[in-house]
Amino acid sequence: MFFRMVEKDQIADLVRGLASEYEVVGPVEKQGRFVFAPVTGAEELRLDYDTTLLPPKRWFFPPEETIMRFRTADEEVTDDEVFAPPRVLFGLHPCDINALLLMDNVFTRDYVDPYYKARRDNTLVVGVSCTPSDTCFCNVWDTDEVHWGFDVFLTDLGDRYYASLRTVKGAELLDDYVKSSEVTEEDTAEFQRVVGEFKQAFDNDVDTTQLPVLLDAKFDSPIWDEFGEQCLSCGACSMVCPTCYCFDVTDRLAPDQKSGRRVRTWDSCQFKEFAAVAHGQNFREGRASRVKYRYYHKQWGYLSKFERVLCVGCGRCARACPSDISPVRVIEALQTGGVR
Amino acid sequence: MSVIPQDAYRRDAETNPYRPWPARITSIIDLTETEKLFEFRIIDPEIRESFTFQSGQFVELSIFGVGEAPISISSAPSKQGFVELCVRCAGDVTGALHAKQCGDVVGIRGPFGRGFPFQEMKGHDVLLVAGGLGIAPLKSLINHIHDERHEFGKVTILYGAKNPAEVLFRYQFDMWKHRDDFDLILTVDEPDESWDGERGLVTGLFDQIEVDPDNTYGAICGPPVMYKYVIDEMRKKHMDVDKIYVSFERRMKCGIGKCGHCGVGHQYTCVDGPVFNYWEAMNLQGAI
Ligand SMILES: Cc1cc2nc3c(=O)[nH]c(=O)nc-3n(C[C@H](O)[C@H](O)[C@H](O)COP(=O)(O)OP(=O)(O)OC[C@H]3O[C@@H](n4cnc5c(N)ncnc54)[C@H](O)[C@@H]3O)c2cc1C
Ligand code: FES
Repeated sequence: MFFRMVEKDQIADLVRGLASEYEVVGPVEKQGRFVFAPVTGAEELRLDYDTTLLPPKRWFFPPEETIMRFRTADEEVTDDEVFAPPRVLFGLHPCDINALLLMDNVFTRDYVDPYYKARRDNTLVVGVSCTPSDTCFCNVWDTDEVHWGFDVFLTDLGDRYYASLRTVKGAELLDDYVKSSEVTEEDTAEFQRVVGEFKQAFDNDVDTTQLPVLLDAKFDSPIWDEFGEQCLSCGACSMVCPTCYCFDVTDRLAPDQKSGRRVRTWDSCQFKEFAAVAHGQNFREGRASRVKYRYYHKQWGYLSKFERVLCVGCGRCARACPSDISPVRVIEALQTGGVR
Repeated sequence: MSVIPQDAYRRDAETNPYRPWPARITSIIDLTETEKLFEFRIIDPEIRESFTFQSGQFVELSIFGVGEAPISISSAPSKQGFVELCVRCAGDVTGALHAKQCGDVVGIRGPFGRGFPFQEMKGHDVLLVAGGLGIAPLKSLINHIHDERHEFGKVTILYGAKNPAEVLFRYQFDMWKHRDDFDLILTVDEPDESWDGERGLVTGLFDQIEVDPDNTYGAICGPPVMYKYVIDEMRKKHMDVDKIYVSFERRMKCGIGKCGHCGVGHQYTCVDGPVFNYWEAMNLQGAI
């Protein structure tokens, strides 16, 4: 990777430059919370945000999208184009970039998903360093660092950024729009000091020892019944999760019944019908079985395929859950055998 | 903000695994009150000719305006140019298909999933056990074995249905009853006066058969409740856990490992299955 030093007051130029070529999306404040939204200038950006309500996944995998338009008379697809405008996601934290990498595994490998892929290809990612909030536990999964999946990553050194340039496009952006300088040995030492402090700032202590074994060995543990009792099956955890990718597909006919759209929408394994099949059978009828499945898949199912857990420790689900169910609590219960 | 018209950046989905191919219904046979056997030919000749599959794999059957349903292929891979699906009318998509006529067009995409290990089974005896609609994927395997019969040892087929009216493919099996290269035993739970086969559950037939445990592959397909009991019988015959194959049915919305609906244990039924060996299935929490 290559590195450059960028003065903070250059960010306005960078965003202005980017906006001439791309739609720029970044963290903005909305009623005291942060969301990713299109911006027109750097002054709207809040690069000091802690975490956003919703993860950036919707810019690649929208909550609802038409995957094809059809004609019923001859079962022909009339249009399956992908709408993928050139876009920059500006100011993603390492957890959210890591989450994109986990999504990439699902959507861009076997049976490439053309919708996700087109947006991913047409979107530049500019990352920015963060400070841990009380719900963050990315340190537990080593997702507090990120080394690919972005174009530029900006580490905040006070009045300057230590910019990591991952791609040609990222390097060009810096060349085109900002004045940057070479990185000195002192700069790298400062970078190390800042990152060291960042790592010290986490006070989440989650014991992930032998998690896959525990998930299997304690599959019938009463802790799941307890979490099942608490869970409302609202699916909020899935909606705010940057790595939850499950979806439903439905057809919507036009009023003339001759044409229509096939639409996919976000779905959640916490919804009761998620695993229901014909003849009244439901493979995960009870709430306990569904809560368990969510964790089982994230910490073991996905791991067994892609060698990473499907969680980046962003803490959004912990904030969103009306019953305070969180990965930290679930993992602790698995370790100790008791729900706290 | 960008002044470039965004429509300029719409791109074609070059290869789209969600896009069904139009296929014409070329034959419909009423099998029972609720099941019909459909033959489809994909309209695009290039795709039709290049469509190859394994027994145990499935396709996503699409009817625009209604939706999609995963259906096992019941014709044999040795027969190309068409696919046969044996479909029970169970809901929206299957209901809409049942209302179609010969010559109508639907959509098909696939084949998907992992089928039975046909090549591995060669040179061995096979014991195939079907319950109810489970005969649909097994029929593909049975017919494939039939077409390469000399490659296999003893072939035993046990098939159970609720009553004689629900026995699928009876015309084929009636003919096969007299063949000595297939040991075929049919049973029904509720026989009527016309029934000359066995009565009772399919597990009751195991007393009648002999199994060479070191040399036999098993394949089971039927309603979820059946698996445990049939596997118990196979284990009593000392068959190896990794030579017994089962096929699972789960809810599916994509067929290609994305939508998450078909999750079973740590796997996805659509891409890791639907056919698993029993060792794998035992390792899938909540599968059997
Ligand atoms: C690998 C595989 C192979 C298969 N092979 C065959 C085959 O060869 N032949 C065959 O006939 N079938 C087969 N099936 C089963 C078939 O896919 C289902 O019966 C089919 O999906 C039904 O689709 P449908 O649209 O007709 O029914 P749907 O309208 O989807 O509904 C069927 C039933 O599912 C339940 N259901 C649906 N949606 C919900 C919901 N939101 N909440 C609660 N319950 C709901 C209801 O009980 C409903 O009656 C196979 C399935 C799999 C996974
Ligand atoms: S059917 Fe969508 S993941 Fe298996």
